[in-house]
Formats: sequence, C-alpha cells, structure tokens
Amino acid sequence: MTASNPGGQDGSATGAGSATSSRDPDPPGLEHSIARLLSIGIYVSMALLAAGVLLMLLNGIGPLSGGPVFDLRRLVPDLAALRPAGFLWLGLLAVVATPTARVAASLIGYARRGERAMAIVAVLILIVIAMSVALAQALRG
Amino acid sequence: MTDGLLLLVAGAGAGLFGSLLGLGGGILIVPLLTLAFGLPLLTAVGISLICVIVTSSAAAGVFLERRVANLRLGMTLELFTACGAMAGGLVAFLLPERLLEGLFTALLVYVAITMARRRDVAPSVAVAQTPSAAAVEAPGPATERPARAFVDRLSGPGYQVERLGFGVIGSVFAGVASALLGIGGGLIKVPVMHVVMGVPLRVATATSNLMIGITASASAIIYLLRGGIDPYAAAPTAIGVFIGASVGSRIASRIDLRLLRGLFVAILLYTAWQMLQRAIA
Repeated sequence: MTASNPGGQDGSATGAGSATSSRDPDPPGLEHSIARLLSIGIYVSMALLAAGVLLMLLNGIGPLSGGPVFDLRRLVPDLAALRPAGFLWLGLLAVVATPTARVAASLIGYARRGERAMAIVAVLILIVIAMSVALAQALRG
Repeated sequence: MTDGLLLLVAGAGAGLFGSLLGLGGGILIVPLLTLAFGLPLLTAVGISLICVIVTSSAAAGVFLERRVANLRLGMTLELFTACGAMAGGLVAFLLPERLLEGLFTALLVYVAITMARRRDVAPSVAVAQTPSAAAVEAPGPATERPARAFVDRLSGPGYQVERLGFGVIGSVFAGVASALLGIGGGLIKVPVMHVVMGVPLRVATATSNLMIGITASASAIIYLLRGGIDPYAAAPTAIGVFIGASVGSRIASRIDLRLLRGLFVAILLYTAWQMLQRAIA
C-alpha cells in the first residue's frame, strides 16, 4: 500500500463470486453501488429539506419558533397540503434512513457473494436499528 | 427569515471547519445552537446528530468510490457503535442537562488540547508507519482459527487488523459519546483503529466516517421519535452543513491548516468556557 494509491487497492480486485484471499478488498461493484446509494440518499434528503425550508419561508414560519413533534400519521396529509412539516420530516427521515439503506445494500451484496459472516453482521446491525425504533416507540407510548 | 439564514450560515461554518480539520462538525454545532441560538441542549444534540449523518453520508460515498474506507471493518465495528448509541440515546433523556453540558465542556477541552498538540504528518508517512507484525504470526489453536480467519477478512492490502476486542470496546464508547453529545465519535474511533488496531491513519479516518452514519442513526431515531429533533431548526442547519462540508472538501488542499487549527483551538476553548458557565450557572 502506498500513498500514491490511497485506497491501496488496485483494479485487479476479485469480482463477485470468485475465490477471495484474506487480503482481497471488497468487490468494486458493491462499493460503487453503496457510494451511489449514499449520494442519491443525501441529495434526495437535501432536496426535501430545501423544499420544506422554502415552504417555511412562504408561510412566514421562523426556524426558532418551535417545530411540531414527529407524527407518522400526519406525514401524508402534511405533504398533500404542502405544509412545511411534511417535507421537513420526510427529508429528516431520508437522512436517518440513508445509512440503514447502505447496510441493507451491503447485506444483499455480501449474501450474493456467499460471505455469510459479513451478511450476519449486516443483519445484526439492522436488528439494532429496529430495536432503537421499537424502544423509542415504547418509551414514547 | 434572518434566523433561518443565520442557522444556514452557522451550519455552513461548522461543516466547512469540520471538513477542513477532519471532524464531523458536531463539536461546533452543539455549542453554536445552545450558546448562540438558545436551543435546549437535547434539541441541539438531536439536530447535531442529523448534521453528522449528512456529513458522513456525503463523505463516505467519496471514500468508498476511492476505495479508501474498509467496508468490512467499518460494518463490524459499527455494530458495536450502534449498540452504544442505542444505549446512549435512551440514557440521554434521563440525564440532567447540566451533567451533559459538563461532559461537553470536558470534550471541548480534550479536543482543543489534542488539536493544539497535533503535528502535520504527511499521509504517506502515516501509512508507512502501519504495523504489520500479525502478518508473520503463527496460526493459533484450531478453536481460534475461525475467529482469526474473520479478523483476517477485515484486513486490507498492506495492513493486518489486530486487537479487534479493543476496537469493539472503543466502538461502544464512541457510540455512547455520540448519542449523549451529538458528535460523530471519530475522536475515539480513529485513534483506536490507528494506534491500537494497526489500521493506517487514512483508512481509519475514512472508515470512521463511514461508521458515523449508522452510529448517529441509531440514536437519531430515538431523538426523532421522542421529540428531541426540531424540524424547523434542523433543516436550515443541515443544509448549511452539507454546503459547508462540500466546499471544505474542495478547498482543503489550498488552506493553511496551521493557522486554521490555531483559530479552531481558540474557538473551542472559548466555547468550553461558555459551556462551563452554563453548566454551573
């Protein structure tokens, strides 16, 4: 590994399905897909948040006026009525969901390659995230 | 209108500073929102977690494309940062605000001292110093082989991951700190990966950045569902951070980092003083 090759990984990385040694990097296809997913997720999030901020401006809502608490049942009606809260919450949910989508994509990628250990790690991460949601919901109730 | 613009500019400043100095930006966002905008600490932490996810997702994509981040290692460690973040996110709502402010003050002082003592090390030198002793280790007993094989799979070209157990412990602490203080936790993860686990500095930084997204998500979900995130204040701040971080990554090579670091240390110490006064008031 040299400084001139920051990734330290050359273009001869093994493709999907081929035998891998302990020094083999992650498959370029998987990394590329995840990178694209993260980019799309963040741009979609920013677009939704920008739309929400624009609607705040049009409705004369100040950012320090105290926003509404998240309520999933109000999301669709708020979006349909072009209320800022709908776009802001959807944007914030997209921000929070983007890394989780990355783990889900990794799970699919590693499962396809037959890397059981990494697929299990991905499943466990998703379980922890699901537990966070469940615990927060339970404490909220 | 003015407040929104100020939040956007503040977010952009935090994102810019953060990306230039290799930080997530949370260390600046929380004091900015509490001290300058008067938001409660928990709300500031919730917004900061959102901003930290934004910077992580934006940067991690680039690091993965350039093949700098170690996806396998990042995913393995983020399982434990997520556990820590979940626990921290639940505990954060039970702790007194003054205690959190005191903890944040200590963190600010720690970061200021670390920054002040840091020397500019060329990336090539940092990478060349990577230990690789484990590469010549003899194979252990049969029962250790599956674990050894798993650790081997986490290693990358030119380096061998070592002491995964310490990495796991460090990751749990990083997750708890992230959830309590609204930071990415890279301040803990990068030294643990580089110094303890033998991961090259550049790879450790990129991998930590990748992990921050899941770490912050695990606690941000709790903040979001428990009313700890104000969407009106979060949106302009997050957009600002995204703009600032994007600009920062493009101009980083043209900035005199020594001058910037000195300014940053002064800001951190001033902020620590303000936060301490708030904690003991």
